Amino acid sequence: MISVENLYAAYGKIEALHGVSFHVRQGEIVTLIGSNGAGKSTTLKALMRLAPPESPTVTGGDIRFNGRSLLNVEPHDVVDRFKMTLVPEGRHIFGNLTVMENLSLSAWTRKNEDTRKTLDHIFGLFPRLAERSRQRSDTLSGGEQQMLAVGRALMTNCSVLLLDEPSMGLAPVLMYDMFRTLKRLNDTGLTIVVVEQNARLALEVADRAYVLDTGEIVAEGSGEELMRRPEIREAYLGG
Amino acid sequence: MDFFLQQCVNALQWGSFYALIALGYTLVYGVLRLINFAHGDIFMVGAYISFFASTFFLSPDGPSLSRELALALTVPCSVILTSGVGVTLERIAYRPLRRKGAHRLYVVITALMCGLVLENGNLALLGASRKALPDLLEKHIYVIGPVAVTNLKLLVIFVALLVFILLHAIVSKTRIGMAMRAVSWDKFALPLMGIPLDRVIVFTFMLGSGIAGLGGMLFAMSYPVLDPYMGAMTGWKAFIAAVVGGIGDIRGAFAGGFLLAFVEIMVAAFLPSTFRDLFAFSILLLILWKRPTGMFGLPITTKI
Repeated sequence: MISVENLYAAYGKIEALHGVSFHVRQGEIVTLIGSNGAGKSTTLKALMRLAPPESPTVTGGDIRFNGRSLLNVEPHDVVDRFKMTLVPEGRHIFGNLTVMENLSLSAWTRKNEDTRKTLDHIFGLFPRLAERSRQRSDTLSGGEQQMLAVGRALMTNCSVLLLDEPSMGLAPVLMYDMFRTLKRLNDTGLTIVVVEQNARLALEVADRAYVLDTGEIVAEGSGEELMRRPEIREAYLGG
Repeated sequence: MDFFLQQCVNALQWGSFYALIALGYTLVYGVLRLINFAHGDIFMVGAYISFFASTFFLSPDGPSLSRELALALTVPCSVILTSGVGVTLERIAYRPLRRKGAHRLYVVITALMCGLVLENGNLALLGASRKALPDLLEKHIYVIGPVAVTNLKLLVIFVALLVFILLHAIVSKTRIGMAMRAVSWDKFALPLMGIPLDRVIVFTFMLGSGIAGLGGMLFAMSYPVLDPYMGAMTGWKAFIAAVVGGIGDIRGAFAGGFLLAFVEIMVAAFLPSTFRDLFAFSILLLILWKRPTGMFGLPITTKI
């Protein structure tokens, strides 16, 4: 479905990805793990074609979605035409809007469609959001904000969901809840690419995983397989 | 007391001009965190466009329309063409900088330069002789109790109020307004929702400049002598009004405009008029000292 081919990306003159290749099949959960600065977020931002300076410029290679190159596609068209979106690191919800406004704004590309079904689906996954739908979203707790960030992404009617550090800043219980929810979404057919620092959590739910180190893929395999490898355990799972 | 009431009416009219300009400053700032220092000059361009449009509509060799019809046609002309000027500035000056991720300082300097280009371009093109807007409205004076008010003054105040109410409805009720508020909070996430950022920005410039064009036209009708620098000082003051109101908030821009006008008019009415700017700005400084984010502004905090 998605194939990243020998991707080079840079922030200004500083190269952050040095020839990254990986692929994602329809219906999979794929995770990218690696330490700080390995290029995980950079890879997701490049996939979404977000603009510099916050996001990298692709300097080589290609990103293909069902065979079509995304390199000349605008980020809002990645969402609109390719049905792929990103839950960014730090959530980036619209704090000055209510929960409901955040959700309905995200249905921008679905002008004439009935979005009530999606909304019910989201409220089913995250009942807390339904309770707080009229509240300004910056009054939500961190965990609820993360739910809103995921709910908002689902509202775009995406078939591929990219998530950047969904566990960041969450209490362990909420972290597990979030990954359980992702698994449930995956069971309904959503393709998921998740970037995580909490490698154990990510490897447990992932069908396949790639390990990034300083802008290069250094290992790949199924989640279980990687968890058994001593060098991975040593470097990313705390022995 | 009668004198005071009369001055209040004058302050309302004067405040309407400030408010109409301040709304444009605050819209663009709210969405882009950019102080569009060319905005006062866009107001000036609006006044000139209304001059050319109305002169053309009234000219005996041209359409030679009646005053009422000319007025009715000049309004959309001024609004649409001025918003075109604002959008053009965004396209050729601000967007390329945004694409390159330029620092805010460069954008502000660019805005100042755009203002100077508009002023001096006008001077070079049309010469230094002042232009006078033809009469578009037959003057009526209504006497309500102790206060005398012209139909033009009422029109100005009414239009300012109407624009404010419409703008407020657009920003709080419509989808594009929701998107504008969303951008003001977080520009990064907007494309992730499938929303084209550039379209939201262009719409914002259209609104702001269109309102300035309308303000310029009403100003030219009230003070029919136009010169290329007319937007500079008025623009600066409207900017300050927007800051005092709480820049980024449209209620703030509106209230700030009227507050500034009220102070200015009252100082000029009851004290030597040379004290006007001194007092006006001192009071505004006091307000900012007590409330650095302005009357309606709130400090932004984010939760990690």
